[in-house]
Amino acid sequence: MELEDSVASFLSSKVMIIAATRDQTLKAHIGRGCGAFFDNDAGDVVLLSSASQWPEFFACAVKGAPIAVTFVEPSSYKAIQVKGQINQVVPATSEQRERAARYIEQMLPLMAGLGVNRLQLSTVFADDALAAIRFWPADLFVQTPGPSAGEPMRRIG
Amino acid sequence: MTNVPLETLRDSFEGIMPSVIATTDPAGMPNISYLSHVQYVDSSHVVLSNQFFSKTAANVKASGRATLVVIDGRTGLQHVLDLTFERSMREGEIFERISAHLDVMAGLQGKSDMLKLKAVDIYKVESCRCVEPVAPLQTAPQAPAVSRNLLGEAAATTRLFSEMTDAETLLDRSLELLEQKFGVLHSMILLTNETGSKLSTVASRGYPHFGFGAEVAFGDGIVGIAAQRRLTIRIADMRRGQRYVSAVAEAGRPPQEEIAMPVIDQPQSQIALPLIANGRLAGVLFAESTESFAFSHDDEAAFEILAAQIAAGLAIFELADASSDYSDQHPALDGSIHQGKGFRLRFFPHDGGVFIDNDYVIRGVPGRLLFHFVQAYLQTGRTEFSNREIRRDRSLNLPEFKDNLETRLILLRRRLEERGGPVRLERPERGQIRLRIEGMPRLVIE
Repeated sequence: MELEDSVASFLSSKVMIIAATRDQTLKAHIGRGCGAFFDNDAGDVVLLSSASQWPEFFACAVKGAPIAVTFVEPSSYKAIQVKGQINQVVPATSEQRERAARYIEQMLPLMAGLGVNRLQLSTVFADDALAAIRFWPADLFVQTPGPSAGEPMRRIG
Repeated sequence: MTNVPLETLRDSFEGIMPSVIATTDPAGMPNISYLSHVQYVDSSHVVLSNQFFSKTAANVKASGRATLVVIDGRTGLQHVLDLTFERSMREGEIFERISAHLDVMAGLQGKSDMLKLKAVDIYKVESCRCVEPVAPLQTAPQAPAVSRNLLGEAAATTRLFSEMTDAETLLDRSLELLEQKFGVLHSMILLTNETGSKLSTVASRGYPHFGFGAEVAFGDGIVGIAAQRRLTIRIADMRRGQRYVSAVAEAGRPPQEEIAMPVIDQPQSQIALPLIANGRLAGVLFAESTESFAFSHDDEAAFEILAAQIAAGLAIFELADASSDYSDQHPALDGSIHQGKGFRLRFFPHDGGVFIDNDYVIRGVPGRLLFHFVQAYLQTGRTEFSNREIRRDRSLNLPEFKDNLETRLILLRRRLEERGGPVRLERPERGQIRLRIEGMPRLVIE
């Protein structure tokens, strides 16, 4: 499934990434992303995250489980939430680990420019035991603060 | 059951780093978003404002549960909180505090209605767990073993206040002591005007100019909102608020001021405390810093003690002045009336506004006083006046004595002094006022 180019490029741009899964009791569990991109060939969003930093989140991140991921541009608070079902959770490839490292390298100065220092972000960007969570993007929502927050951009299928 | 005591997380509720909230809908689909406000209520409760994200609200309504991640802005440590919804509040102290804070942040961008708070939600914290840092990018330095004894400093400061015998000393020394005891480099005291619609700067410290007489309208900015709501407002990181609000609204222009308010470049922390005594608002104590996180919860508590003491002190000095029997001095004549070049003193009776030539000087009670002094001088040559006769003179249309005549005289004297002539006031002794005029004034009543 294709995403609009602007949305696809937004997911892999310099954005903060937060994600949620849920357990059998429907309790939500939070994790943070360390880079993401849209895989055009597979039609999947690929979220990179530290499995060791976010064990409760990863315990529920299994094939078939629902996931919600919000991408936020720090300078403008422009935000998009993408929801879908997880297709696969695997250890990150070396290419993906390099992508995560680049992501951290790019985000730190960006956030510093906004007054958020490295210490404040010291556990936000974690790439230890990096894993790739693939999911098919079923719903997209605008989440920029303001009157249109929460409105669906589109629903697929 | 709370595993990590919430008291140890107070710095995570400062709004320095955005919190994250996750919920699940009845079909099992999670939802995740940032949250503008999480505040500590007590050892087992937090309060959230969530005025934009309707999906979160709907999910909480259905399930009664939410999961939160907060970050300590000082250490970068994160905690997960499992929450159970208890109740919404549309009024009360907690609601008013968060509402006031949001209004200040919105006001930074000149869009005070964009973030109007409808309700706050109180949640019980079922569990609080640290997110163990597996590979931190940086580790926080050890906190100092001995923290500052703010209660002791507040007690020492109030002891010094107790020794003071006049309002002017109290105003200046309190700002000096804020610097000496608490490291506050930039501070000011503003007084409420007689109609309760504006505040005027009467004392300031640590600014390029004093700005005596500079005004803030009630409801405008952190100082005006602190006065209007009679609440302490503390902003730990102003950049956060500015960024959040700019996502909602374009920046607006601040109102023009007739006397420039003393300011510092790029303040990062601010705190405004109402000065209340006998149930009346006398003014606002304001402090700011170029550092984020300059004022903690404990600083706020200490400053509230000092603010109460300052307000009580001003009220006591006013009462003492009003009941004193300092005798009226015989009017003195001044020989300087023909010296220097002439000037026009314009008076606007509707608001007590005074202009010297075309420059605004002051308005309200201080303006009426200045007009009175100059008029009496022109009519009789008098230069000496007393607090006592001013209080008795009904033609001045003064508010009752409790409305701070003494502090208004201080304000007027300081404004004239900072302005640099041709009219000045001196206080030769307690309860006495001496007018100094260079040149011949021409009174114009507009």
